[in-house]
Parts: sequence; structure tokens; C-alpha cells
Amino acid sequence: MTAVLEARDVHVSRGRAAVVHGVSLSLAPGEALALIGPNAAGKSTLLRALAGLLRAAQGQVLVDARPLSAWPRGALARALALVTSEDEGPGTLAVEDRVALGRYPHRGPFGPLLEEDRAAIRRALERTGIAPLARRRLGTLSAGERQLATLARGLAQEPRVLLLDEPAAHLDIGHQLRLFRVLDEARARGVAVLAVVHDLPRAAAWADRIVLLAGGRIAAEGAPDAVLASEECARAFDVAIRGHAVPGSPHPLYRFEERP
Amino acid sequence: MTEAARRRLVLLLLLAALPVTLAAGVALGSVHLPIGAVAASLARAAGLPSWGAPLDGPSAAILWSVRLPRVLLAALVGGGLAVVGTTLQSVFRNPMADSGLLGVGAGAALGAVLAVRMGWAAQVFLALPLAAFAGAMAAIVVVYVLAHAGGRPSLQGLLLTGIAVSALASAGTSVLLVATEEFRVKTVLFWLAGGLEERSWAHVQLAAAFILAGVALLALLSRPLDVLSLGQDEAASLGLPVHATRLTVFALAALVAGAATAVAGSVPFVGLMAPHALRPRVGPLARHLIPASFLGGAALVVLADLAARTISDRLDLPLGSFTAFVGAPYFLLALRASEGRT
Repeated sequence: MTAVLEARDVHVSRGRAAVVHGVSLSLAPGEALALIGPNAAGKSTLLRALAGLLRAAQGQVLVDARPLSAWPRGALARALALVTSEDEGPGTLAVEDRVALGRYPHRGPFGPLLEEDRAAIRRALERTGIAPLARRRLGTLSAGERQLATLARGLAQEPRVLLLDEPAAHLDIGHQLRLFRVLDEARARGVAVLAVVHDLPRAAAWADRIVLLAGGRIAAEGAPDAVLASEECARAFDVAIRGHAVPGSPHPLYRFEERP
Repeated sequence: MTEAARRRLVLLLLLAALPVTLAAGVALGSVHLPIGAVAASLARAAGLPSWGAPLDGPSAAILWSVRLPRVLLAALVGGGLAVVGTTLQSVFRNPMADSGLLGVGAGAALGAVLAVRMGWAAQVFLALPLAAFAGAMAAIVVVYVLAHAGGRPSLQGLLLTGIAVSALASAGTSVLLVATEEFRVKTVLFWLAGGLEERSWAHVQLAAAFILAGVALLALLSRPLDVLSLGQDEAASLGLPVHATRLTVFALAALVAGAATAVAGSVPFVGLMAPHALRPRVGPLARHLIPASFLGGAALVVLADLAARTISDRLDLPLGSFTAFVGAPYFLLALRASEGRT
């Protein structure tokens, strides 16, 4: 299957510091890719370069085989959505209005709210399970509910590629399960999903494929359980990782220990 | 009551409150003008049929050359400053942001003092407001150029540059004030304290041109402003040209705040109070908050000006001091309330 998102030898700098050194990866429609790596490995920087927020100093990012620089802003925002755990709207903003701003790439500054926009907003609220909170203000929500509202905004964009930066960062286990189920449903509709995930067992259980980033380079890539079992992964996090097979489960149970 | 119904009600109340405050501002003062006669005068001037006799003689003169320009100016200044506060608060994502952050106030003061020091203000009509306006524009250009010296600045970089340029302009203002002859200092002190005494229709025209145009253009940017309020990354990922939008908003905000400051001097806290009071009631979406803030800010300053000139028989309180006397406690109470919640 052809890649909907592709990075070719991407180098990214922040200020004068080179953070990402020559990363190549590709993502197919409906695929789930987890980006893992220790702190300061360059995950968020890479994600922002893939989303077109940071320019690659060298190399190229392609969406639908077209370099990002050749995409008009609006068209790119209709093809690709970024969901981070940092951005939040004003506390007085209603959830529904927040999600409606996800239609900005479709409506532009002056376009009216069409029936298709309303439908997209409704679907995004329903899929994330926050439809009952639609008229609540962001400031009155829990961190988990706010994160789901941010995800709903991303879904309302109706992109073909969904990029997420630690989407489960503030979520309790119930909200985590719901979030990854929502991502799986998006994949089932053909959306390619790439998420930075800190929780390694969660990444292994959810993703089709894992890319391990360390020091701004890809240290390992492949099937989730193989990457977690690799020496590169243990070295990147400086831990010992042991997987214990669990009867009846497709994934091993992982144990992590500090390395002496 | 649903949220939308409450919002409509608040907007309607504001829409009704502005004419009432304007009427009070016109009628009340050291000389009382009967409101019926004022209405008759206005109707006759507009070529409309009217009941009752219009004002005549000195009362008519007070209406046309003192009260009317004054209350209209108060409304324009208040509405403009409130909209500037609203939009900058969206861009900076901080409910405490206002035009002072861009160096507008300090630049306008420097321009005004320069005009007085050089004697232009005494010789040329409108020289003081025009110099103040030029000073405000110069300050924002300096802030922009300095902030961009090292590439595209962060919001924080812009903010700190604004503070530094403001401090520099204030230092220049102090030096010029010290070097100004004593009889001229009072002119500039009156302006610095903020006020609307002896303003003419020319001031109204100057203010109206920039403030109404600027506010209308900012209102057109409502949706981009909402997107900006989500933060830089999210705004950019939604396809908004973040840098260009911010720049446009800053330029328009500086134009409006510069014109308001040029004609009225410093009128602090209006840009904070009006949006702060209205945001919980109409919500933060710019398409609701901009019109609400304009109406609320306009009514607020018309009332503040009315209070400032009628509260004491012996002394016209400077408008700027009055809004600060009201605004600072409001600000502190609001701050305590928000700290209490977290």
C-alpha cells in the first residue's frame, strides 16, 4: 500500500541545536505507528516536523507523495491533524465551540457553518464520548475530558493522517482505554495514526509498528514486541526489559528494572 | 435559560445601555440639559420630526460643541480600548493583556510630550493628538523591528521587548518633561492623566476614523482570533498563518489604541475590565465578545467620564485616574476570585 505520510532523511533543528538527525519512516492508511523513546530523544520535534510546524533543515516530509512545502496550508490541515497535550483553549470556551474550530481548515475565516460541518462536529463529539459535555466550558472539565475535547477537534478536521503527541499523558486508565479505542476506530476508517506514546506496554499493545527514537535517530523499528525486546530499546531507556508470556494474550507482560 | 439566550439577552442589554448612558452623559453635568429638548435638537438636526422645543442659546452651544463631542469621544475611546483588550487577550492567551504591552501608551506619551516641549501643541491644531498617535505607531514599529532582529519572536519575546521599549520611551518622556517650561507642563500632565476636556469635533473625527475602521477589521478577524486563542501549534496545525495573523492583529490593535490614547490620553483598565466582565457572560468567541466589549467599554467610559466630571463641584477628576480608581480594585478582586478558584 502506498504511504500517506513519508519522511525521507529528515533533519530538524531547534534554534541552533540539531535535534533530529536523518529520520526516514512511512505510514500507510489505517496503520498505527507508535513513536517511543526516552526524554529529549526528539519525538515531539519530529512530530512537529511531520505536521509541517517545523521545517526540516534537510530531507523531506511528503503527504500523499507531495512535499509539505508544496501543500497550501488549508489543504494540508484538511489532510493532516495534530493533537498535542499542551494546547488548550480559553477556560470559558464551550467544548462544542472548541471542537467546531477543527472545521477551520474547511471553512476558512469567513465560510458559513454548513450541514457537513455540523455533522463532522457531532460525529467527533460522539466518537470521543464527550457529546454530553458539549455545552460545558473547558475550565470545568477534568484534564482527561479536556484531552478528549482536543482529540475531538482533531477528528472534526476529518484528516487522513492523525499525529498525536502523548495523547494519554494526563489520562486515567478509563480515559486511556477510551482514547486508544477512538484511535482504533479512526484507523478502521482508513485514517493513518502516528502517536508518541510514553507507556511502552500500551504502545506495544496498540500499535502495528513501533519506531524507537534515541538521540534524534531511529534506533529500532518494527513489530512492537520485537522492538521492546531489542537491546537497542533497553539501551535507549537504560533499563532492563523482560517480557513474560501470558497464556491467552497476544502480548507479553513487560517488567522494567533499572540497570545496575 | 440556555447559553445562547443568555448571550442574546446580555447583548441586547448592552445595546440598550449605550444610548441610555450617552443620553445621561449629554444631559448631566455642571449645566443640566433637559433630555426632551436634547432629543428635539438632535431630531431637528437630523431632519426628523420632533416633539417639544429644541435647545437654544447657550444650552444649544453646550450640547453641540461641548457635550456631544465629549460623550461620543468617550464612547469611541472606551469601545476601542475594550476591543483592543479583547483581541490582545486572545492572541497572548492571557486575560491580563492590553495595549500597554505593545508600547502604545508609552510611545503616545513620548509623542505628546515632544509636541508640547517643541511648542507644536500650542501652534498647530491637533498637533498633540497627532504627535501622540505618531509616537504610538513609532513605538510599535520599534517593538516589531527589535523583536524580529533575531528571527520570528515568541510571544514572550515580543512581550519583553514591549516592556523594554515602554521603559525606554517613559525615560525619554521624563527627560523631556524635566526640560519643558513650567507653563507648558500642565498641558501635558492633563493629557497624561487621561481626559476629554475641551475636545472638539475634529478629535471625534480623528478617533472615529481609526477606531471604527480598526474595530470593524478586528471583528472580521473573529474566527482567526478564536483559532489563535488555542495556541500557536494548534493554530498553525489548523492551517492559520499564525505569524501574519498576529502581525495584522497587532497592527490593528495599535491603530485603535493609538487613536484612543491620542485623543484621550491614558485611560487605563478599560481594556481589562470590559472583556473580563463580559467573557463569562457571552463566552470567549470573538464574534460575540468583540461587539459586547465594544458596547460595554463604550458605556463604561461614558459613565466614567460623567462621574469624573460631576463627582466634585470644585475639581474635574482626570478620567484616567477615575478608571484606575475603579479598575484597580476591580482587577484585584477579580484576581483574588480567580486565585480562590484554583
